[in-house]
Amino acid sequence: MKFFSIVYIELYKIFRKPRTYIAFGAVAAIVGLIQLGFYADGDSYMQFGMQSFSDSFDVEGNIMNGYLMAYIILQLLLVHVPLLIALVAGDMISGEAAQGTLRVLLTKPISRSTLILGKFTAAGVYTLLLLLWMAVWTLGFSIAIFGIDDMLILKSTQVTQIVSTDVLWRYAAAFLFACLAMLTVAALSFFLSLFAENSIGPIMATMSIIIVFTILNTLDLPLFEQVKPFLFTTHMLGWKGFFDVTVNENNEQMIGSIENLPAVLSSGGILLLHVILFLGLSMYLFGRKDILS
Amino acid sequence: MLQVSHLKKYFGSFKAVDDLSFSVQEGEVYGFLGQNGAGKSTTIRMLLSLIKPTSGEIRLFGKSLFEEREQILQRVGAVVEKPDVYKYLSGYENLKLFSKLSFKAISTHQLWETLELVGLKDRAHDPVRVYSQGMKQRLGIAVALVHNPDLIILDEPTNGLDPQGIADIRNLILLLSKDKGKTVIVSSHLLSEIEQVADSMLIIHKGKKVVEGNVLELLNPEKITLELVTSNNEESLRLIGLSSWSSAVKSSAHGRIVLETDPQGVTELNKMLVQHDIGVSSLKSMNSLEAYFLSLTTAHEVL
Repeated sequence: MKFFSIVYIELYKIFRKPRTYIAFGAVAAIVGLIQLGFYADGDSYMQFGMQSFSDSFDVEGNIMNGYLMAYIILQLLLVHVPLLIALVAGDMISGEAAQGTLRVLLTKPISRSTLILGKFTAAGVYTLLLLLWMAVWTLGFSIAIFGIDDMLILKSTQVTQIVSTDVLWRYAAAFLFACLAMLTVAALSFFLSLFAENSIGPIMATMSIIIVFTILNTLDLPLFEQVKPFLFTTHMLGWKGFFDVTVNENNEQMIGSIENLPAVLSSGGILLLHVILFLGLSMYLFGRKDILS
Repeated sequence: MLQVSHLKKYFGSFKAVDDLSFSVQEGEVYGFLGQNGAGKSTTIRMLLSLIKPTSGEIRLFGKSLFEEREQILQRVGAVVEKPDVYKYLSGYENLKLFSKLSFKAISTHQLWETLELVGLKDRAHDPVRVYSQGMKQRLGIAVALVHNPDLIILDEPTNGLDPQGIADIRNLILLLSKDKGKTVIVSSHLLSEIEQVADSMLIIHKGKKVVEGNVLELLNPEKITLELVTSNNEESLRLIGLSSWSSAVKSSAHGRIVLETDPQGVTELNKMLVQHDIGVSSLKSMNSLEAYFLSLTTAHEVL
């Protein structure tokens, strides 16, 4: 009862703040611009992308369809979404401390753990809604504008073709996975917001951690290879695994297949562990914190 | 209603509150006095479980605060230091939002009644960011009162207010105590404020209790310390020396004469000086809490 009241109140506060809508506006603007760009000049982009394959394959149909567009946009966008998540999650505790409302909240008959859980759940709901919004723009509007067909994913050494009837569930799974990845960012940002009395600090700290970890991921040095499996950023792009398919002996796609499901599940598990770790630490430390703001 | 026993709070080696014990009776206005940094806010934060004490016990309504925190806080309303609320919401929205956190059934009528009580009914739908300091203070008090608590804790409620605002808060405290039967703990460093509203008081200095008791008894109205400024202090001193107040003079410097007398003596002294053609510019009682407080805390400083 108290938990749901907190979630309701926190969501009310989140959606009454103008800054919340920056993220929704940014997603709409970026996706809209990319779609406009591809709509106007997408054919030459695709010809350039298909250059190395055009001698070996004869590709027919609507290559630049909504499914491929959504994939391209998600690759570009999901790297930047953590900032939009941190904008709200990093403000959940530190913003209250800065305003002085944290002490008002804690003079009310609620336990600190309920408050933390309620606030984090509200940040989680915001994250889900933002990703749902992103899904509507990237997938929904891309399908509406560019239509549907089989999906071709171009990689450096291979081309993956996924038949159109086998795509939608992969997107649903990919968005769920992306939710988990962004929830990890929200949990990290939320945890960092315990230590600050303004929201800039946790937002900057979250982005700094993600940038440093991402750089470590890209450096193929033996020292970093050992730590990579433990960095949550390594697993955040695990959603792409849903678009890696297996083929039969005739080199045809096996419907409903995922090339390396254990790796995808393992990445999901590691992200979930991070969420539990950050949230658990937040509850433990907040429960012992003296409120001096 | 409230018993505090051997309360301590140390921040490292700094003793913010040091072995503090006091009790507050039901229905009284309890003044909590001390200079800035004396430990008032730290104590109040401990009473509200915002800060964990290093040691000691707090019992409210006969229950331990550490064991039954949520049940206790349901019966407490508080403004701690500044009356902070959400500036992007209106006064009404803030009150409604915080009232939900009391987990009591509070009707719209009660919300408006509380806003009326603090004089914010006409500005309830304005965003808080356009409120004056006084209006924010009154909204903070409304947030503390909306769930009809038995104990109200107001930490420095007159901070930053103009004289009218201070008078309004003072009247509100008296109304809550005398008309509505609430127990009110009010802290302030504006000592005259406490003097006008409190039944009992506690003075703390550097985290330690200096004195606790009934305000009237502590002020000892049988004996008044007077500060006198006249048109001719030399002649005044000579006349006083010849009168029954000859041994009552405590000091005479910077154009001021300080002496002790009983309440009747004030009128007689004034009459005597006027009869000798000496103009009395100022005849002021120093039996304020301020004088009392300074004498106590200075004594503690020396100790």
